[in-house]
Amino acid sequence: MASFLNVLLQNLISGPATDPFPFGETFTPKRIRGRIVVDPGRCLGCGMCRHVCAAGAIHLQKDSKGWTITIWQDSCCLCRSCVTYCPMNAMSIDPDWHSAHAEEDKFKRIEQHTISYEPCARCGTPMRVMALDKARELYADDADVDPEEIRHLCRSCRQMSDAENSTVCVLRSDINTAQQEGRD
Amino acid sequence: MPAPKHSPATFNIPLGPVHVALEEPVYFDLQVDGEIIRGATLHSGHVHRGMENLAQHRNLIMNQTLTERVCSLCSNSHAFTYAMVVENALGIGVPERAHYLRTLTEEIKRVASHLFNLAIQAHLCGFESLFMHTMELREIFQDVKESLYGNRMNLAFNCIGGTKFDLDDECFGFLDESINKFMPAYKELMDIFETDPLICARIKGVGLLPKEDAVRLGVVGPVARGSGLAIDVRKETPYAAYGKVDFDVVVRDGCDLYARTCVRLHEVIESIRIIRQVMRDIPQGEVRTHMNKIFPAQAIARSEAPRGEVIYYIRTNHTEIPERLKWRVPSYMNWEALGVMLRDAKIADAALITNTIDPCVSCTER
Repeated sequence: MASFLNVLLQNLISGPATDPFPFGETFTPKRIRGRIVVDPGRCLGCGMCRHVCAAGAIHLQKDSKGWTITIWQDSCCLCRSCVTYCPMNAMSIDPDWHSAHAEEDKFKRIEQHTISYEPCARCGTPMRVMALDKARELYADDADVDPEEIRHLCRSCRQMSDAENSTVCVLRSDINTAQQEGRD
Repeated sequence: MPAPKHSPATFNIPLGPVHVALEEPVYFDLQVDGEIIRGATLHSGHVHRGMENLAQHRNLIMNQTLTERVCSLCSNSHAFTYAMVVENALGIGVPERAHYLRTLTEEIKRVASHLFNLAIQAHLCGFESLFMHTMELREIFQDVKESLYGNRMNLAFNCIGGTKFDLDDECFGFLDESINKFMPAYKELMDIFETDPLICARIKGVGLLPKEDAVRLGVVGPVARGSGLAIDVRKETPYAAYGKVDFDVVVRDGCDLYARTCVRLHEVIESIRIIRQVMRDIPQGEVRTHMNKIFPAQAIARSEAPRGEVIYYIRTNHTEIPERLKWRVPSYMNWEALGVMLRDAKIADAALITNTIDPCVSCTER
């Protein structure tokens, strides 16, 4: 009993343990999961995020001009799967956790970007321009390829350009299997 | 257990389904004789969400998120065991660093879960200030979870093949600092729980589960260890990095509420020991291997959740949607022991005894 009186005394001296929120600041660590944001400069519209989203919070609508990616913040359960599996690192988590909103705003809490296709620099087919740092990463082993130039080419022109310019032919085993699966 | 024949002095009283011990619904039909319970019938099914069926309609990655939501206090154990069962079925190797990170996460969750149970026990004893104090101490670990993983309950840390992200030195620094702040206060708290006359008067000799009954009913986790059974999946079949860290299985043979309280109190100390070893020994490297191929296979995986052994079973086919996903949770085994524990107990102790198995109704009924 005496030991608990000691605890009570310490608590009296140290004051309330609760944060004064909303009248003051509350504990907000750097890594807190607040809401999902998409970087429209990196999104390739591959749909991987939608495929892994357990909450069905991601919507992707494609047409001939490009696509619109929508994230419904009120549906999102912040499980981080889209961030983990996005091949372009386009998804990230913002630490802004202030999500209180009026009932009538519930459908307005969305993250939405419309991304347009651009013509391929060589053949003119509408295509998505790859982010520069991703192009650098992909062609890091190949000094003959200019990332700035190749990121403006569509897939078939990229393959042609690669074959024409490359002095070293790097055939990765996973490229082979990926093409086979594509045919199936 | 079967209800005895009703004498004129015996009558039935309902207990629950709301707030028996925790805010989780379960309904007891108690046959009482005066204030002594002579029999108890348990009715459950209030929070059945059809999760096993849901799992058979979602792909393997979506199920990672689904299984984390089976239970809140042992959410990480479910996601972790699910990741292990898929890795076992599809033969995915997990990087060494991920093994250590997973072990660390499990133990952080275990500390928070045990402290929650102890706090509720203080609350049910009527010792509200101790309840508040225990929850305040637990808050240190809630802050750790929030700072390391970004959320207080659903950590979203495990994924098939490893972990979704890595922890850096800043995280480990914060964890170390938090443990140093936690330990002196926790030693004081342990002393209060073990020696306070108010607590001891309520829990010593109450809710007896003899060792023979514990074996017969197949109870798991702290309930089994409080009845003198040294069973712990972490020791029996070490998974993740449990084979490489040194810890003891806490066993008490008092068979009562006090023994189970002591088991939980000392397990927190063992968990802190594991956390410190992981922080010291964790290797550098990758945290995730990719899932390459899905083929028909079946596997099981088991792990020691804060409440006891969790078992997952999966059967996959050629698609990414599993054909069958099934899990057995510790509370399912421990429920039956309530029949033994409640027999000849006082009505006033019913909630306290229910709390001692650390019931997780949402796990059991999913």
